[in-house]
Amino acid sequence: MEARRSSLAESCDVELAKAADAGTVRLESRRFGSAEVPLSAVFTLDPGLVGFPGAHRFVLLDRDAGSPFKWMVCLDQPELGFVVTDPVECVPGYVCPTERAAAVLSCEAEDVALFVLVTIPKEPKEIFLNLLAPIAVDLRSARGLQMVLEDGSLDPAHRVPLA
Amino acid sequence: MLVLTRKVGEQVRIGDGVTVRVLGVRGGQVSLGFIAPKDVRLLREEVSVAIERENRKAALDDVDHVGRLASLWKEYGSTKK
Repeated sequence: MEARRSSLAESCDVELAKAADAGTVRLESRRFGSAEVPLSAVFTLDPGLVGFPGAHRFVLLDRDAGSPFKWMVCLDQPELGFVVTDPVECVPGYVCPTERAAAVLSCEAEDVALFVLVTIPKEPKEIFLNLLAPIAVDLRSARGLQMVLEDGSLDPAHRVPLA
Repeated sequence: MLVLTRKVGEQVRIGDGVTVRVLGVRGGQVSLGFIAPKDVRLLREEVSVAIERENRKAALDDVDHVGRLASLWKEYGSTKK
């Protein structure tokens, strides 16, 4: 049975802002706009995204409430951002490696938020999800990583048709 | 490139935290064991190259079409379920 885990929506800026009593950090981005981001919504990926050294602090922005797609914007490099989503929601039959992520992060499975990078072509008749290397975050410590699952059956560009 | 010759069972240390041990050699294949801190990522090169390629493709250079994604998903998601 799949372990309980945190949903992507619970990890987003709006939800976390409710719990915020600490300060905020300002995101200034030409591409993604400006926002006051509560410090409680910032998480650190270490090791970060493969091929992006120096990009460690990120925030999830919920720009379209109800959409399964969120923006993951880098606070260290504010023009660097991605669309992420919950693979459980977008890929039928996806088995979430929650326990594995919890072991790697040394945390409880229920504190794990797991999501994947989405590649969106200019004409989005289809999108591609990186199931081979999901991002796992321990929400309690706000630390996570891009986790590489050494599993030959997982696709770094899993196609999801949108037409 | 630094070239070192090692026997099976011998090791190489890289920096302060990383140790590589030659575990065995059979045919044209070498088995290596790695000990490294948690924040050091160890990947087969081809896996690393594939993930880096997909990560770069996923990096947004334009956010205009992202808005359309949500509506397409709503449409598609409703017919799928």
